[in-house]
Amino acid sequence: MITVSVASGKGGAGKTSLSAAIAASLGAECVFADCDVDAANGAIALGATIATREPYFAGPGFTIATSACSGCGACHAACRFGAIEPVSGADAFRIVPELCERCGACMARCQTRAISTYEKQAGELFVSDTRMGIRLVHAELEPGEDTSGKLVALVRRRAEAIAGAHAVIVVDAPPGIGCPVIASITGCDLLTIVVEASASGIRDASRLVELAESMHRRSLGIINKAGLDADMDERALAMLAKAGIPLAGRIPFDLALRSAEESNRTWASVDCESTPKIRAALAAIKSVLDTLKEKR
Amino acid sequence: MNEAGTTVIAVASGKGGTGKTTVAAHLAIAGARTMPTVLVDLDVEAPDATGYFKDARPSGAAEEVSVLVPRLLEARCTGCGLCARTCRFGAILAIGGVMTIDQKACKGCGACVAACPTAALEETPMTVGATSISDAGGLSLLEGRMVVGDIRSTVVIEATKKRAAASYASLSVRDCPPGVSCPATHAIEGADYIVLVAEPTEFSIHDLKAAIGLANGRGIPAGVVINKDGFGDADIAGFCEREGIPVIGRIAFKRERAASGAAASLWRGDPAITEEIDTILARALAGARRGTLR
Repeated sequence: MITVSVASGKGGAGKTSLSAAIAASLGAECVFADCDVDAANGAIALGATIATREPYFAGPGFTIATSACSGCGACHAACRFGAIEPVSGADAFRIVPELCERCGACMARCQTRAISTYEKQAGELFVSDTRMGIRLVHAELEPGEDTSGKLVALVRRRAEAIAGAHAVIVVDAPPGIGCPVIASITGCDLLTIVVEASASGIRDASRLVELAESMHRRSLGIINKAGLDADMDERALAMLAKAGIPLAGRIPFDLALRSAEESNRTWASVDCESTPKIRAALAAIKSVLDTLKEKR
Repeated sequence: MNEAGTTVIAVASGKGGTGKTTVAAHLAIAGARTMPTVLVDLDVEAPDATGYFKDARPSGAAEEVSVLVPRLLEARCTGCGLCARTCRFGAILAIGGVMTIDQKACKGCGACVAACPTAALEETPMTVGATSISDAGGLSLLEGRMVVGDIRSTVVIEATKKRAAASYASLSVRDCPPGVSCPATHAIEGADYIVLVAEPTEFSIHDLKAAIGLANGRGIPAGVVINKDGFGDADIAGFCEREGIPVIGRIAFKRERAASGAAASLWRGDPAITEEIDTILARALAGARRGTLR
C-alpha cells in the first residue's frame, strides 16, 4: 500500500482537482481519502454514491446545568479559551460549544457540580462508490466542531482498511498547515505540493515545504495556474528548486479545466489545450508511485 | 459594534481560494477612506493579506504569542500521575511514576497545574506564533502568524483579535481562514457581520452551505459576495435565494483581474470594482447595524 498526499498551504490552489485526476489516472485500484473534512469536495469531483455511513463522535463535550449553577464564575475564571459566558437574565454561566476546547478545567473547578459531560455527534463518515469505480472515503464535520485532525486520522484509517495490499491511497489534504494538514501528511509515502503560481500561493506553499521538511516527507511539486504572471511563474519554480523539490509538472491557468467537475470529468479526461501538460504531470507522478511500489 | 465602538466585519468562505483575502483587502481600503480602519489577517496558518500592501511600514513592535505549558519540578513530584489522568489531550505520560510532558501537544488549559496536589507543575510560556502591525498609507495592517509545525492556530487567532481590539479603529475587517472548524469559528466569533466570498462553482456552493450554517449557529448576520462571477456556471444566486441569504455584491471574472490577484496587486484603476466594493461595504455595515439593534 502506498499513500500519496496532496497539499498546498493556500486554499483553492487545485488540490482536489489534482487529487481526482491522480485517482482517475490510477483507476479502480486506488482509494481516495478526502481529508478536507470541513469543506469536502471529493464526492463532487468523483461523482459519488454513498454506500455506507457511520456517525463520528469527537469525545465528550461539556455543559452547565443552569438550574444547578450558583453563578460563582469559577468556571469562567478557569477557562483559558473564552468559551464560558454569562447567561443573560440569569445568575449563571454557559459554555459556548464552538469555542470549547474540551479540556475539562471548568468541571474540575465547579463547586456545585453543575457541569457534566455529554456525547455529541460531531460529524459523519462515508464510504462511497464513484463513477470510475474508485472507492472514496469522506466525511462531513459539523460546522464549528474542533476535532478535524482526529476525523482526518479516522478517514485515513478507513481508507487503509478497504484498500488492497497493492493499492494507492490518494489523500486530498485541507488548506493551511495546521493540525488536520499534519494529520493528512503524517506517514505518507509521497507528498505532492501544489504551488499556485501567485504571490500568496508561493508564500503558503513555502510554509508547507518547511512543515514537510520537519516531518521528513518525500515531496514533489506541481505548479498550477501558470501563465497569469511571468514573474510568479519564475518565483514558483525558484522556490521549489531552492527547497530541492523536483517538479512533476506545470499546469496552465485554463478555464477549460475549471469546468471539469461540472461535466462529470476530471482533469485527466478533459480535452483542451492543457491536456498534454496534464498528461505529462500525471505520468510523472505515476512513475514515482510505481518506483515507490517496487520498493515495497 | 463592540464595547470599544469598533464594527467588526469578518470575511470568510468555507472553500479556500474564492477571494477572501482580495475582498478583505479592498473592503479595508474602502473603509480607510472615511474612518480609522484595521485589516486583521486571521488566516494564521497561511497569512497573505499584508502581501497586497508592498509599501507598508511597521508601525509597532512584533509581539510573540505564547501559551502557558507545564514544566515538571521533579523534586516536588510524587509520581501520583493525577496530571496525566487530568490531561484530555494526552500531553502528559505517566510511566512507572515518571511524568513526561509533551509541550507541543499541550493546549495550555492549565487543568494539570490545578490538579497537582504538590504544586509540582510550573507554567512556562511557549511561543506558538506572533502578531505584527504595519501601516499602509493610513490603513492599519495587523497580521497573526502561527509557527510552522504548531497546531495551536486558535491561540494565535485569539491573540491577534485581542491586539486588533486595542487598535481603537472604527472598522475592523478580518480576513478569516477557510473551512468551518475551530480556526474559522474563532475568527468569526465577535464579528458584527460576515461577508461570505463564494464563486459560481459546485465546490464553492457545497462549502458555502457549511459556512452559512456556521454563521447561523453563532447568530451573526451574513451576506454573500459572488466573486469570479461568470468563472463557472453553477447557479450560486439561486442557491443563496433558497438558503435565504442575501447576495450583497458581484465581482465579474476577468483574466486580468486573476492576473493582478496572482501578483498580489490591488485592483486600483478598475473603477467598476471600486464602486462595487463601496456598495458591498455599505451593505455589510448596514447589516452589522441591523444585527446590533436586533
